[in-house]
Amino acid sequence: MRTKINIYLVEYAINSLLRQKYKTLFITLVLTALIFLLSSIFFITNSIKYELQSTVDSLPEITVQKINGGRHYDIEVSVADDILAITGVKSAVARVWGYYYFENAGVNFSVVGIDEYEEQYKNSLTNVAKTLDFSASSMILGAGVKKIINENYYKEYFNFIKPDGTLKRVDIGGVFDTDTELESNDVIVMSKESVREIFDMSENKATDIVVKVANEDEIATVALKIKLLYPDSRVITKDDLKISYQNIFDYKSGIFLALFVVSLFTFFIIIYDKLSGLSSEEKREIGVLKAIGWRVDDVLKEKFYEGFIVSFFSYMSGVILALFFVYMLRAPLLQNIFTGYSQLKTSFTLPFVFDMQTLALIFFLSVPIYIAATIIPSWRSAALEADEVIR
Amino acid sequence: MMIELKNITKIYEVNKNNIVTALDNINLEIREGELVVLKGASGSGKSTILSLIAALSKPTSGEIVVETSRVSKLSDNFASDFRRDNIGFVFQKYNLIPALSVKENIILPLVPLNLHVKEIEEKLIRVLKMFHIEHKENQLVKNLSGGEQQRVAIARANVNNPKIILADEPTANLDEKLSLSFIEILKELKAEGKTIVVATHDPLFFNLEIVDRVVEIHQGVLL
Repeated sequence: MRTKINIYLVEYAINSLLRQKYKTLFITLVLTALIFLLSSIFFITNSIKYELQSTVDSLPEITVQKINGGRHYDIEVSVADDILAITGVKSAVARVWGYYYFENAGVNFSVVGIDEYEEQYKNSLTNVAKTLDFSASSMILGAGVKKIINENYYKEYFNFIKPDGTLKRVDIGGVFDTDTELESNDVIVMSKESVREIFDMSENKATDIVVKVANEDEIATVALKIKLLYPDSRVITKDDLKISYQNIFDYKSGIFLALFVVSLFTFFIIIYDKLSGLSSEEKREIGVLKAIGWRVDDVLKEKFYEGFIVSFFSYMSGVILALFFVYMLRAPLLQNIFTGYSQLKTSFTLPFVFDMQTLALIFFLSVPIYIAATIIPSWRSAALEADEVIR
Repeated sequence: MMIELKNITKIYEVNKNNIVTALDNINLEIREGELVVLKGASGSGKSTILSLIAALSKPTSGEIVVETSRVSKLSDNFASDFRRDNIGFVFQKYNLIPALSVKENIILPLVPLNLHVKEIEEKLIRVLKMFHIEHKENQLVKNLSGGEQQRVAIARANVNNPKIILADEPTANLDEKLSLSFIEILKELKAEGKTIVVATHDPLFFNLEIVDRVVEIHQGVLL
């Protein structure tokens, strides 16, 4: 019985790879680079999918905006009460928010106002409401905002420039504690009163109204009723927003798909090259081994080890490098393909998403295929009569 | 009888228009412990006989029996096992792997057996001493002289202590001194009781005392 791993065969395989060190090194580097690229693409895609899913989950069921001439205007707060009267509506909250452009850093912050005694339309805001000091002019920041304003002098407070040119000082009361960075990274939360002051909004106006519906199946019906009640409004459901997000993601995924296809194409060129045959030297060696008593399966085992060593080493190196590149270095260049559309947003860190399926997919796309490409031509030679190979 | 070739014909089909009859209905018997020299010009079929005995190829017709094994009927894997256990083949061009060391080349036939390291060491030391190449153990084969390479090839052929030694044109690449040295090795092997078949056209072998028989072959036919 020869069931144990034959260490001499493994040693021979390693020797064989070392004998062709430049060829081995070249193939290992190319394979590693391809696996690195594929892994990076998958890791970024997974992380961004996770981010987008979190964002979509936190979206309001219905958002109502006032539209005039195709443009978005502030809406009357009283509209919320009218919507609340519609059957099936669980809550209607007038939101006060806007984008504040911080010229020094060249980024936009999302400034969101909340009321102390109002039901918050998002769980994350309920937590923030508990920590925010409504009696003082205070704010809670997303980690990205905190970083940027800290880098630009402001450590304990920030001066907002109001539309009339005067300053509004707001103290930093804390930082968001959340793992969904796309959602909260560029957000500043403060009292509605402060937001109105910064954006010069009157008290009876709001940016939009978010509506919660008791029964999810009734969202479309409620949206229709709102539209009928206020024909000058734009009523956006969660599904509409999901589609918009998905469209952006799909468009970006297309670019990634192109990279993915190029990687696979290059990989299969290597495979094709390997499958197209062995050198006369390699054929002769197989003939010699058979002539001195090696079986076909001994030759194939040895070739399996060769293929496994190269492909598994490349797989591990490629995946580890990709993990480092995506999650430590924040995927320079590649991440910009996805987030490039939001240059004005604060930068964010891709959340670490450990997905065994992805790792398995990359493994099966690389290791077994490469091993097969190593074994098949050797099997063709080994299956010939040893005499024929040596001659 | 150690080796029996019965009505052996071997035809090589180089291409559709070029069919070569290497052996034409030959019969040959070799007894255990015998040293037989196959004499003939290049292309006469000497190497083909060795190749058939070693089960490196199959005859087109006829039967080869070695001891009790019908080697001409063996499947590919059993033919490999047969070679490993019974045959030591010294090729004309040695067929060593140049980038491996002497030691690595010699133990190559043992690699698939997955033996204990101690057992491999014992077998290795035995042949290194027998063929006086202990001091070359770790040198790369490509750095050895022709004579030294041949000793490595013979050591590899003997590492499994086979009963049969087949040597194809063993002195073709050696000068006279080294050829005589090879004959000394043959003497030792014969003294160990091995059955030896040497295919050669080197006249040095034809009148040697240790040679039991010289079999002449011409254009695939035994004379």
